Amino acid sequence: MDKLTDKYLRKRKIPSTACSGCGLGQAHKAMVVAIDELGFDFYDIIWGTSIGCAGRQTFATWKGDNFAGTHGRVYAIARGLRLAIPVEKKLVLTVGDGDAFGIGFNHLLHAARSNAQMTVLVCDNLGYQSTGGQYGWTTPAGVKTDSSPYGMFEPNWVQTEMDILNVLKAAGATFLARHVSMDGRPLVESCKKALQNNGFSLVHCVFPCITNFGKNALGSRNTVNMFNWIKNRAAPLGEEKEDTLWRTGIYHDAINTRPEFSQLMRDKVSEIQRRYQDEGSH
Amino acid sequence: MLAGCNAFAGYPITPATEIAEAMSVNLPRIGGYYMQAEDECAAMHLAIGASLGGMKAMTATSGPGFILYADPYGWAIGCEIPLVVLNSQRVGPVSGITGAPGQGEFYNVRYPTQGGNYETIVLAPNSAQEAMLMTVEAFYLSERFRTPVTILADQLITDGFEDISVPETDEEKKAMGMRFMERKAHPGPEFYPPTDEIDIPPVVLGVGTKALCSDWTPTEEGYDIETVEAQHKHSYRMIYKIRNHKDIISRHETLFLDDEPDIIVVAYGSASRTVKTAVKKAREKGQKIGMIRPISVWPFPDELFQYKAKYLSVELDYDGQMVREVQRAAPGDSEIHFFGKCGELPTVAELHETFDKLLSGEQLSRIGWEREAW
Amino acid sequence: MKDRIEILASGFGGQGVVRLGQIVGTAAVNQGFRVTMLKSHGTEQRGGYVRTQVVLSKEEIDSPLVEDPDFFCSFSSAAYKQFGHMMKDGVVLYDPAMVEIDESKPFRQIAVPAKDMAIEKLGRPIYANIIMLGALSAAACEILDKENMLATMLSIIPKFKDENRNAFEIGYGMVTS
Repeated sequence: MDKLTDKYLRKRKIPSTACSGCGLGQAHKAMVVAIDELGFDFYDIIWGTSIGCAGRQTFATWKGDNFAGTHGRVYAIARGLRLAIPVEKKLVLTVGDGDAFGIGFNHLLHAARSNAQMTVLVCDNLGYQSTGGQYGWTTPAGVKTDSSPYGMFEPNWVQTEMDILNVLKAAGATFLARHVSMDGRPLVESCKKALQNNGFSLVHCVFPCITNFGKNALGSRNTVNMFNWIKNRAAPLGEEKEDTLWRTGIYHDAINTRPEFSQLMRDKVSEIQRRYQDEGSH
Repeated sequence: MLAGCNAFAGYPITPATEIAEAMSVNLPRIGGYYMQAEDECAAMHLAIGASLGGMKAMTATSGPGFILYADPYGWAIGCEIPLVVLNSQRVGPVSGITGAPGQGEFYNVRYPTQGGNYETIVLAPNSAQEAMLMTVEAFYLSERFRTPVTILADQLITDGFEDISVPETDEEKKAMGMRFMERKAHPGPEFYPPTDEIDIPPVVLGVGTKALCSDWTPTEEGYDIETVEAQHKHSYRMIYKIRNHKDIISRHETLFLDDEPDIIVVAYGSASRTVKTAVKKAREKGQKIGMIRPISVWPFPDELFQYKAKYLSVELDYDGQMVREVQRAAPGDSEIHFFGKCGELPTVAELHETFDKLLSGEQLSRIGWEREAW
Repeated sequence: MKDRIEILASGFGGQGVVRLGQIVGTAAVNQGFRVTMLKSHGTEQRGGYVRTQVVLSKEEIDSPLVEDPDFFCSFSSAAYKQFGHMMKDGVVLYDPAMVEIDESKPFRQIAVPAKDMAIEKLGRPIYANIIMLGALSAAACEILDKENMLATMLSIIPKFKDENRNAFEIGYGMVTS
């Protein structure tokens, strides 16, 4: 990642402050590779982050502008910011599963509704790991965490019949994909598609947390075991097996089919402005 | 709009809805944006986003919405975002009475978010005309101090109708005392100096300054850090950029303080309107009564309380809020009294009865729900 | 003329009480008065209690409260009971379909059958508040100019101009000075 690091990332934040073995870097890197392959420069992109591992570890890594919202609110900040910044700038958000699907879910849905341009990379470590490892909205059934000591028995949002990506699709998102962080090329391709959408894109990417999830769910902090545990439970869409937890690939591709929020606002406002200027000149 | 506001984010709530509606009509005509949010928390975040992108942004709400501003308000203080927030007080707690005035937000606007280690700027107009002037002033101060400024209004101000005089030329604006400040962008890289300096441009995203802003304790460049020293530096700035430049913020109205009045009535916002009539009429009767009306209520204008007198704080709440500040600021041997009413202004008749009691040395003792002691 | 004129209107939500105050206040501004108008209402919904208080003066107005009404438009018995005690030497205008008055009171009380006349002459009860406005305009004719009031009303309510003009005149004709 050396060349990419020089081009896009801040030296101060390399190496990352993440725990050893953390898979967040794979997801983060995939997005940076996608940005590079699309030919963006660092000042073309404003990088927003949330709270939790995904947000804290990626904040201030981007060489250009960075902002970090309070828990769950970065989508609302991004929507206001979208109106004020030049249309050609892209917003990329790296956020956690608790931030996007829990505390910030209402704001996320409204960002999808409005189709505001933002590429949201939900880096999912399967629960609340930065607070020590409590269950979240994507924690697999049966998994023990500090707050599900008898095993996760609540329904979660990656079950086939109640997939959160379906909710986001119904809410108006124009690009949706799901991956695991070790997906490599397919993950990069999904990030590229997401970035090419002048609208709301979300890539859901599961990554391994060794320190807390690994310890609680698998009973050890063995990095290889944790990586394999996730990898073995992921399969491309259409190739699912019985024990598949994460079906990977593009779930919904309607890129550039709906007006983008800030473009719509700009068009409407200039139309209203013209109308009243015309009336005023009569 | 006179101050250059070009972004407004709101969520419908009585009695601040009229402001949102008016902005939805008028902002697009000058090229500005009205955004309706999914809740108040989002409304203030949308306004923050617009300000972060270089726009002059505002949001308005009432008490039940203002508590949802707690989250973004803290963020805006910490990242030093210029922003104007209006809180039109109704009667609380919780939903209370929607269409009637209260003043129960006095401390809520001083401590709008958690964590402490900050000062806030709050302006409290008492009329439609002054609400216009103070909104312009709030935009001005928010730019100079890089912080959200709250306009503390109430239901009578945002829901009422009054004749106002709107300036049209620059001379007229100046004659009315309006001050203006353009938005500039901080060039970086040291966005958060550990000093009490004002007039430093804020962080603006999208202009190539490699800006950093976050909810975490910042280094001077804006990197996240958790050290006691960095947090102390940041807190020093949050507190003392405001405390050390209080003279730029302070404004007030006083009446009849020059002849050692027996009673000094203290009131702000719409409660001060009937107080002023009552004080003027009491003077006509020969009673030595004066009045202090803080317009900038935070930082609280301690310096106005120099005289030993019987102070009477008249407020639209029953629990006695501003009276605590009066008690703290007044000379130690002053008598401190409280008159509280909520949902309606105190009448001139009620105030005169209270003045008479205090002048004759009676206590304003209260019994039962209608009259309780403070 | 007194140095301030106080006008109170009160009834239920949906009766046009706030609109009446808004028209009176705007008309007074057009006539060069300083004006304050307060409205208070119990809920966001129609049917709740509503009050509007208008103060007019040639000078800047400090207290916007009506404590000694010169004119009180009462649209409900509850309003009459709640605010009637404030009356000293003003005039009460009340709708007898809605309000039962205390005839022993010393101040002037004028019956304005606004609701019945609105249904009878204009076919719809919604014009009752404009009939009341006409009556108020007549009662206050020494202070507020009739033509200005009518023009202001028509500018604030741009729909059903003929019906509203008729309603205003019907109300105006109900009060003789």
